[in-house]
Amino acid sequence: MKPRYQATLLVLLSLFTFINLVPILWGLLISIKQPADAFSIPPTLIFEPTLLFHWEVWVERGFFSFLINSLIVAGGTICISVPLGTLAAYGLARTKTKHASTLLFSLLAIRMLPQILLAIPFFVMARYLSLIDTYLMMILAMVAINQPFTIWLMRSFFVDVPVELDEAAMIDGCNRWQAFWHVVLPTVRPGLAVTSLFSMLLAYNEFLFALILTGSRTKTLPVAIAEYGGEDINYWSISAAGAIGIMLPPVIFTILVQRHLIRGLTFGAVKG
Amino acid sequence: MWLFMAPSVLVIALVLFYPFFSAVYYSFFNYYLGSQAITFAGLDNYTNLLSEERFWITLGNTFFIVGASVALQLVLGLALALALYACTRGVRLISLLNFLPHVVTPVVGGIFLKWMFVGRWGLIDATLIGFNIFPPDWLGDPGWAKFTVIMADTWKFMPFLMLVLYAGLQAFDTALLEAARIDGASPWQLLWYIILPMMKPLILFVVAIRTMDAFRFFDLIYVLTNGGPGTATETITLYTYQIGFRLLEVGRASALGVLTLIVVAIMVAALIWFMQRRGREAF
Repeated sequence: MKPRYQATLLVLLSLFTFINLVPILWGLLISIKQPADAFSIPPTLIFEPTLLFHWEVWVERGFFSFLINSLIVAGGTICISVPLGTLAAYGLARTKTKHASTLLFSLLAIRMLPQILLAIPFFVMARYLSLIDTYLMMILAMVAINQPFTIWLMRSFFVDVPVELDEAAMIDGCNRWQAFWHVVLPTVRPGLAVTSLFSMLLAYNEFLFALILTGSRTKTLPVAIAEYGGEDINYWSISAAGAIGIMLPPVIFTILVQRHLIRGLTFGAVKG
Repeated sequence: MWLFMAPSVLVIALVLFYPFFSAVYYSFFNYYLGSQAITFAGLDNYTNLLSEERFWITLGNTFFIVGASVALQLVLGLALALALYACTRGVRLISLLNFLPHVVTPVVGGIFLKWMFVGRWGLIDATLIGFNIFPPDWLGDPGWAKFTVIMADTWKFMPFLMLVLYAGLQAFDTALLEAARIDGASPWQLLWYIILPMMKPLILFVVAIRTMDAFRFFDLIYVLTNGGPGTATETITLYTYQIGFRLLEVGRASALGVLTLIVVAIMVAALIWFMQRRGREAF
């Protein structure tokens, strides 16, 4: 294609990308500006940056402990969801019966479930067992949301491994379990990492369940930042600093799994 | 083989099916959290909801917001996917950057967007006022609030469509495109007669996924408008949240959830039917 055409296209795309990212950049600017600069009209671009608010929100306002809560929930979810999902995915990838595909599609149908419909019984259970504001309930809820997706994603990695590998291992004297554990599993290690990262992102970003199942002791980051909101102008700098910090792990995540984004997306990893 | 699946099936039964069926069970009862009295209500919860104006308003809002934003996302996402496909340099970086709004924690994204749209101090208002243009109340006026929520949803989900459609384009057989080009087809003809028909299954697939997800749409609206002003941007999920977790009417909220599920199931079934019918026509 003509170089001029290419150049125009590139400029247009860059312009669109910039406009698309304006909300994030604006948030970043608010978080490093003194309030006096942040609210001058028209918005100024020349100012002295400060990291004061980042320090204040993470250290003085306890966002660091909410980060720990978020990590505990995400870690717990991975520890339960990924091993179980991996086992099931291997089973499903190596079974060719009709039942297996029925099972797979019913897992996909679970995607239709409105999450709020699951949130209600989880809330009732948590109240009934007085497990509100515990990590356990939140982790179980995340596993519930996560499990169908984990199975589908892991299965797609197992399907890429030729069956001959299992068969060869079994001819050499392995039983099914040994073939899985010593031969097949090591070959899907990247898949395990990708699946774990997606599970982590899902648990980390979750808001609805966190809103109803966590309390002052186990509050996760999205709930904490939502409490500051964006309304009260006096808190803008603080909550902007919090928002930017919360955004970093998902950004790192995207860079890490960029090659596998499509696979994860179509199986429903990232949700609204 | 079944031994591999057993633990997972057990956990799914415990954390997915058990809660699901208990929600369906609650929906037939007058059940308020906090009070001991639980009485059987039959279909009362359902009939009450169906005869209620607010149910239809929130259902209408959901359809309107979903319909408008999915259409907008599809057009933008497709345009961007095509642009990326035609572009030869920097594609990876551009798609990665455009993808960011989709992975940012939804609540955080909502707050970022609020700082764009919020009255007077938001970036949009501040800029417009700087040019002496008096802006509308993006979040407080019922009509504009709907517009803002649609823009927010588009901002968040356009990257998803962009990436999936771009992947679809890359899987294309380029020989067909080359042949058409040699035969003298204009770019528009290429798009309309070759690219779009070939992409149709994929487009229907992403639309189906987005429709399912849209009925879960919660975080962004919760932060941006919380359904307001009045019920102008209240979707069915937000309404369920109000009933279930503000008023603690568990029975009624469950019934609303089940109704939502039925609506989603009908829409997905319609889409699948549509896909299969179209599929047969093509052969």
